[in-house]
Amino acid sequence: MHSEYPPTLPAEYADIEFENNAQRLPLVLCLDTSSSMAGAPIQTLNDALADWTRELHDDVSLSYSVEVAVITFGGRGVGAWRGPQLLDPRTPMSPFVPAHAFQAPRFTASGVTLMTEALELAMQVVAARKAELRASGLQYYRPQICLVTDGLPTDGTGHMTDSWHRLLPVLAEEQQARRFRLYAIGVGGITDRGEQVLQAFAPKFNARIQGFPFRELLQMMSASANAEQKGAGDEVFEKIFSQFKTQRPAWES
Amino acid sequence: MTGRTVHLDGKPVVLAELPLKGGGQAAVFPVEGDDTIVVKLYRDRPGPDLERRLARMLTMSPLAARPTDANQSPELAWPTAIARGPDDAFLGYAMRRFGEPQHVQLVGLFTRAQRLRLFPDRADWRFLLGVSWNLAFMTARMHYDGLVIGDFSSSNVVVDANGFVTFLDCDSIAFTDPGTGEHFPCLMHTTDYSSPERQSGAAATPESDNFALAVLIYQLLTAGNHPFGGVPHDSTSESTVKDNIAASVSYVVRPEAVVIPRGTVDPSVLPPGLLTLAHTAFGPGVHAPAARPTPEVWLRALDQERSHVQACPTRPLHTYGSHLPTCPWCTRAAVTGHDVFNPPVRQPVPVPVAPPEDTRGSRFGPLKVVGVLLLVVLLLILLDHLS
Repeated sequence: MHSEYPPTLPAEYADIEFENNAQRLPLVLCLDTSSSMAGAPIQTLNDALADWTRELHDDVSLSYSVEVAVITFGGRGVGAWRGPQLLDPRTPMSPFVPAHAFQAPRFTASGVTLMTEALELAMQVVAARKAELRASGLQYYRPQICLVTDGLPTDGTGHMTDSWHRLLPVLAEEQQARRFRLYAIGVGGITDRGEQVLQAFAPKFNARIQGFPFRELLQMMSASANAEQKGAGDEVFEKIFSQFKTQRPAWES
Repeated sequence: MTGRTVHLDGKPVVLAELPLKGGGQAAVFPVEGDDTIVVKLYRDRPGPDLERRLARMLTMSPLAARPTDANQSPELAWPTAIARGPDDAFLGYAMRRFGEPQHVQLVGLFTRAQRLRLFPDRADWRFLLGVSWNLAFMTARMHYDGLVIGDFSSSNVVVDANGFVTFLDCDSIAFTDPGTGEHFPCLMHTTDYSSPERQSGAAATPESDNFALAVLIYQLLTAGNHPFGGVPHDSTSESTVKDNIAASVSYVVRPEAVVIPRGTVDPSVLPPGLLTLAHTAFGPGVHAPAARPTPEVWLRALDQERSHVQACPTRPLHTYGSHLPTCPWCTRAAVTGHDVFNPPVRQPVPVPVAPPEDTRGSRFGPLKVVGVLLLVVLLLILLDHLS
């Protein structure tokens, strides 16, 4: 896999980047924006992301080290977002934005589910970011990637595909080597088969959740980032995740 | 929407549905109708050790003899009551509420965005020096009372607008019960503030607190830079602050060993007396706990600087130690474009909109002023030449 995101830093962001030498915590939201998410679900996602962004700005602890990148899969392909700005795949700009400067994008839902390609892009931006940080002398905590989908991986024509199998050995190795922590979360009407894909991707941190509890999901990501900053052991992350998995959304009660 | 009911000293109180903050172990809830207290509930049913610990703590009143400044908050968010369920089960405890915006975690002083948001017009270096002093004072007093903080970090100390500090998570403090002699150890730690011996499993001691104190004071005095930040030249790709601590690699002591991020505040902003203490703490003190400066030593050195702080004549919120000939924050702003204490100056965005007609007259106002100034300067030059 060659990197399309070489370690470059546009001068206009230098002011943000070199605030201090804090150990950084890259966080990637890898989100399904395909046609099945159209209507209320994408609206819920947009609102939850806007709320979470405000919380992130106000969280003195997270805003010290978290930086956020967004990857979407929908429309005709995959996209990397630098805050609200969809990046041109040909530009070498990093999609990561420091938490205090992150602005939530607003998505519209349409198109196909290139989940495999999106995860590949997520891994690629994480690897590139690590190289970039390291070259700058900045350390990083284990990055978090959060994959959220309500469907099954498709190809560019919207047909189901088994190409996701190619990810499994890579994902297994990367997670084993603790290069990032992957959360794979199925929402809405995801099928058994969809859930099996997520289980294969993230054997420890996968879930199938009723409805579209994006708010709780993003709060779980914050809690996990907090634990990472604290240097918590694996059992703490498992506990946080199981609390998220078992909590009943308010509208069910 | 309301949450569960718990009993404090037998009195039922209703908690808010959502916690203020929650981690893996516990969550802290506001109390309906009483914004002066919060209740911390453990996620897993807490064991008898923890219940006995809390019960013993309720009989103690540490730091009780301190001279109270009317403006100062207590230095400890000490438990005020045990929280029990309707079935009398031990669930957690109540304490005084120390929340934003009046009380901010120390880490809020480590980034410009949060300093400007939460401490507008006051979080300068003089303020950070004062917070350092209060932190050392709090630590000294706790050690004097036989309390070991144990989990000492930028997240569980809060600071108020006057720079007074309060330690939050008192249930993790290590202490020996004066009545029974039973020792309650500290079971938590935060890796970025953990001394090497704590990282490898040793019990919390005053010396491990001294390590965390040194890191926190250094962070305060450099506006948020961690003394063990930076990637060592010979490290693996996943090297962290924790690794640098374990390997005793600090750029403060060994700048040649580390790739230092651009914009890292130079250790020389610390006055010599304080820098010497930092060198001891992050050099020999890393692996020799007894060599670490004690809170009292920090207090003396901080005391000497407090009355000699200089204010920069050029930019607001620039204050610095008496040992420096020029303002280090202005120098840094000139070199990196980043002013540590003031908001970024936005580049003016050209607006391609024609001004409304009625402002036309005033548009030439500034030009007139410039013209007159130019004339005066010319006149002065002429006069100078003539004389």
